[in-house]
Amino acid sequence: MIALRFHRDLYAGVAVDEAVKAYARFAQFELEEAPGEWVVKITARTPEREKKVALELGNMALGLTVRKKEEKS
Amino acid sequence: MVVFAAMTSSLKGLPPGLVSADLEQGSARLSVDANVYSLDALRAAAYVFMDRCYVFLTKPDEAHFAVTLSPKDGKADEASLTAWVGELANELLATSWRLKIADENRPLVETITSQAFAGALGPPSLDELAAFDFGDEAPFEDPLGIAQSWEEKYGKKKGAPDAAAEKKEEKK
Repeated sequence: MIALRFHRDLYAGVAVDEAVKAYARFAQFELEEAPGEWVVKITARTPEREKKVALELGNMALGLTVRKKEEKS
Repeated sequence: MVVFAAMTSSLKGLPPGLVSADLEQGSARLSVDANVYSLDALRAAAYVFMDRCYVFLTKPDEAHFAVTLSPKDGKADEASLTAWVGELANELLATSWRLKIADENRPLVETITSQAFAGALGPPSLDELAAFDFGDEAPFEDPLGIAQSWEEKYGKKKGAPDAAAEKKEEKK
């Protein structure tokens, strides 16, 4: 299991949610709230797949955060 | 499994306090001073690398951000990680500068845009022109008399003798 910790100042919560939904069919996700962070726990069939999903999820959450920020401005 | 772990080694030629690498995981991390670079600049710079690297942002403390890069092509030796981090640092500087210029030019851009939209509404009517308030001061200076009509500038002055009539009298 991999736990990704998205800092709330850096990532939009909506972006993290959307990214998790996008990769829902590739792994199992568990979302938790910690002080100042959104924690996403990823479980997949193999460790390699978990790592790949975690890396892609991080990119997608960042991309969506940037796009949402641009839409607002 | 650890994806974005604490980095273990430094990269040659880069300051060890700011840059670290995990050659086993194939990733490098750049620490960014939050007082020097804005979050917008950091996000914009990170966005540029997303097609070639996996990028993850963290905030280890209030005064710092950290960017972790993992190249997608799998080349994660010391030389390529050093190149990636160097490129990221350059991009960070470039995006900061672009944002500063954009902020400084924002009023000018907004003025030009609003004037363009106003122009697109069509020409003013004669009533609107007649009602236009120029204020107390003259709308513009005209030292060469360009705005004057031909009659105002060269026409016969009131009370001045008629040149044609004078010629007739001379003939007599």
